[in-house]
Order: sequence, then C-alpha cells, then structure tokens
Amino acid sequence: MSTITIALPSKGRMKEDASAIFERAGLPIVAVGNERSYRGKIDGHDDIEIAFLSASEIAREIGAGTVDFGVTGEDLIREGLADADRKVEIAARLGFGHADVVVAVPEIWLDVDTMADLGDVAADFRSRHGRRLQIATKYWRLTQQHFSGSHGIQLYRIVESLGATEGAPAAGQADIIVDITSTGSTLKANHLKILSDGVILKSQACLVRARNAEHEGDARIAAIVEAVRKAV
Amino acid sequence: MPLINMPEFSGTLLDEFAARGTARIDTPVIQPAAPFLDMAGEDLRRRIFLTESETGESLCLRPEFTIPVCLRHIENATGTPRRYCYLGEVFRQRREGDNEFYQAGIEDLGETATAHADARAVNDAMQILHNLIPGRRLNVTLGDQAVFEAVVRALGLPGGWQKRLIQSFGNNAHLRHLLMTLASPQAETGLSPELAALLSQDEAALIAHIDRTMEETGYSTNASRSPREIAARLKEKQSLAETRLDGSALLLLSEFLSLEMPLSEAPAALAGFADAAGLAMGAALVTFEARAEALADLGVDLSKVTYRAAFGRPLDYYTGLVFEVSRDNAVLAGGGRFDRLMTLLGANEDIPAVGFSLWLDRIEQARAR
Repeated sequence: MSTITIALPSKGRMKEDASAIFERAGLPIVAVGNERSYRGKIDGHDDIEIAFLSASEIAREIGAGTVDFGVTGEDLIREGLADADRKVEIAARLGFGHADVVVAVPEIWLDVDTMADLGDVAADFRSRHGRRLQIATKYWRLTQQHFSGSHGIQLYRIVESLGATEGAPAAGQADIIVDITSTGSTLKANHLKILSDGVILKSQACLVRARNAEHEGDARIAAIVEAVRKAV
Repeated sequence: MPLINMPEFSGTLLDEFAARGTARIDTPVIQPAAPFLDMAGEDLRRRIFLTESETGESLCLRPEFTIPVCLRHIENATGTPRRYCYLGEVFRQRREGDNEFYQAGIEDLGETATAHADARAVNDAMQILHNLIPGRRLNVTLGDQAVFEAVVRALGLPGGWQKRLIQSFGNNAHLRHLLMTLASPQAETGLSPELAALLSQDEAALIAHIDRTMEETGYSTNASRSPREIAARLKEKQSLAETRLDGSALLLLSEFLSLEMPLSEAPAALAGFADAAGLAMGAALVTFEARAEALADLGVDLSKVTYRAAFGRPLDYYTGLVFEVSRDNAVLAGGGRFDRLMTLLGANEDIPAVGFSLWLDRIEQARAR
C-alpha cells in the first residue's frame, strides 16, 4: 500500500498549532531523527509520512500533487495555484492562523471607502499623475481577481512587494496595498484603512487535499479527513 | 500543434498590404512589458509571457502589434500621416487555441480625415478577408464609443457617473451592474459625524485639514493625491451619492444599448432616437453618418453590416469606431479608432489613429473548411 504524505509547516506557531490538531485527532506526530529534522512520521501509522516544508512550498507541492495533504493558509493556496478548486480540496478549516487579505488605502483618502470609489480614482489617475494607480502586494492573483474580475477595475499596476508592504504608500513605492492582516494594527500604525468591500479573502489554516485520482476509495484518506475534522 | 511556419497565404497578404500603399514595419519579438500593462491593465499580465532582464527590467514576448508599431513610429519621428502594415508572430496564453500564432494588420496614423480613414480600415479588412476566403459569408459588426459617450453626456448625469459609465462601455456585465446601482436608491454611505462636519466647511478649510493630517502622519512627502484632489473628489462623491437616474433616463439608456440593426438604417435610427429622447448628440451623430457614407462610397453594402450600440472595448484609449469581422462565431479581424493611444505612449502631439488586425490562425482554419 502506498505511503501517504502530509506536508506541515516547518516552523513557528503554524507548526505547533498543526501538530496540536493532529495530536487531538489521534495522529501524534513524531520527528524522525532529531527535533530539528524536516521529516516526521505518525506514531503507529507507518504508512504516513510527514514532510515539514515552508508554508508557500506546501501550497505548491499540493497543487502539483506531490504530497497528499498539506496544512497551509487558504491565502497561499488561492494565490499560489491557478484553478485551485480543480487541483485541491479544502478538507477542513482548522480554526487558527486567521488572517484577511484586504485592500487598504491611506486613511487620509477621505473620499475612498469602497471599491467603486477606488475605481473612480483609478480611472482618472493617469491623466492626473502621469501614471497608473500602483498597488503594492505579493498577492498578484487575488488582486487581479478582486479588481478586474469582481469590480471591473482594469487600470492599475501591481508593484511587487515581498515585505513591509504597509510602508509602501508612505514611502512612495505605491499608492495603496493589498496585504494580509490579522488584527489590523499594523495597517492602523501606518495610517491605512480597509475599504468596506475590500476584504478579498478571509483566510485561515486549512487541511488541504490534493485531488489525486488514487485517493478514490482509499479508506485511509477519508479516515484522516474525518479525524482532523473532529479534532477542530 | 502550434503554427510554426508563416501561413501559406502570407505572400498574398503582403501583396494586399502593398497594393494599399502601406509600409511594412517590423518590431522586436521581445518587448518592454510596461507599455502593454499600462495600456491594457494588469489583467493582461496572466495572458502574456513575462520575463525579467538581468538588470530587472520587465520584458515580454510581443502579445500584439499595435503598441509596438505606435512606439516605433514615435521613436522614428517620421511624421504623419503614415500607414503601416505588419505580419508576424504574437504570443499569448489562451484558453483555446495555441499560445503562439500569427497576426497581420494595418495601422493608419495621423490621417485627419477620420471618417474616410475609418471607412478605409473597415473596407480593407473586409476586402482582404473576402480575397483570402472567397465566396464565404462574413459578418461585420460595428460599434461606436463616441455615440455612447454622447448619449451618456446628453442624459445630464453628474460628471462622476458619466465617467463610470463611459469607462465600462464594452464590459456589459459591469455596465448592467452600474445601471442597476443608478436605478435603485443606495443606503446612505454613512458619513462619519467628523467627516460631515468637515464637509460643511468651505473647501479651503477642508484642504487645510487634509494637508495638516498628512503632515502629522508623515504621509505628505510621497503623497500621490494632493489635499486639493481629495477634497474635490469628496465633494463630487457627495453629489454622486445623491444622484438617482430617473426611470425614463434609465429606460433610454437601456433602449439605446439594445439597438442593433443594419448600418444602412442606423444613422436615421440614431437621429430618431435622439429626437424622440430629446437628447442633443450633435457631433457624434455627424461623424457616425459621415463614416457610413464614406463606407458606402467605397462600395460596401451597408445593409450587410450590423451596427450594435453596445459593442465596444473597455480600454480607455479607444475613442470612436470599433469593428469586428467574423465567420461561424470566430473573429477573423478586429479593429477600431484609438486617438488617445499615441499621446499615452509618449507622442508630443495628438495623432488620430485607426487600425485592424487579422487573426491568421483562424483565417487558415476558415480557408481549410
């Protein structure tokens, strides 16, 4: 019988919280070799293998079907994979790692509360400022879906930002941002506000299953999903 | 199997272009990506093949010819009017069809007799297709951005709403959504008491307040939107929120958007619509009629061309004519007038421009059938 591989976050709170869920689900994870090893197994289940990976790699591997399950944020799944719902199934939402992907603009843009307001500003931007409205983000796909797909806004440019995105408007690197926030305090500290219809995704950590054909009729797959769901 | 070689009718096509007095222009396959993303929007990003140079410049494989041809024209500074033709490979990620295929077309830059230039573009596309696919019935559909803009302006909506509607012309789902919003009273946008107090002051005080806040929050040095711009739009927004399109105006707009008829009947029908609605559409109708006449002068049977009022392209550089030639639901040629593009791309003066491109892969398939 083939080995089932589960990819888990390799460090931090996400790793601890994921391990705790599996523990409660009756699937206690033990490291192979020393504590810092990136391989693990589940006590009493020799046919299950744990791979500790970075959260964004988990999204990629699960999209490619090279692991069977993964625990990662829904934001990384939806951002990292084209046609996410066709490639993977969100088997369980795990109740930790809550964060929203949001559109935030400078607080002082008193006239901008909604995406429609932003659309108006974007439409005029080039004639007023000689360039398109710039959005700092690492969420290219989610930004495009929200702006172009849901709100018919085409005229903007994405500026890639891999960290400290909240600082981009004040630093002049971009006009607004699309970023992840859990409490909103970093946004507030940087004098940014979330648009009323600017929540693109309410994300949390999920148990995600690759839609692999060989999962069909494999009772072990169903059992893992069932056990984790009960533990949430 | 992607089309690797030039289509076998390429020679015929180049002869057609030469017979029309156009000059062939070539452009590099690898292009800076910024102009395409700037003009067409970020949505294009996932449909083009992007890469980065060693120095970090964003590059792409040529996704179309109009922008590179226009950039070449500006760079060469050869003066206008000029008519260019092109034939070459373009690269796009498509859901259906191959990712690399051939396009050819004509860009007519700087011709100030615009009705004539429009008619010539439509007629050239029709004739060339007719010669390449003889004896087959082609469907020609024509729309006009300027006529829609004239209707919207004549309805007397506030400037902000006019802009929203004009922006979304050609994106029918979004346009319908806007019309629904206009028709139904919205919940108050809930001005905070603080903001309401600010708005009741005069504009200078509002601007001063915004300026002060920017200073205090350390935002002002790099702010793109000035206090004046924010204050002005806040006032505009207040008037937008209070606007309802009255029932009859909404009905008129919907009625206009549903117009579809042979081009031979369109000038009279549009004039009749404007009269009945009491709308002053002046110049746009004159241009429309002049274009139709110019087409008839070139020998086009206007009863075989369809005018569809809602036909447009949601890109802000299209200004007037748009058209499409199709067969069995496959678009074989598409074109239009883009008077705003040249200055957006950096030309120092306004240059009227019209052109069309031919989808050679689809033409090849149509010929094979």
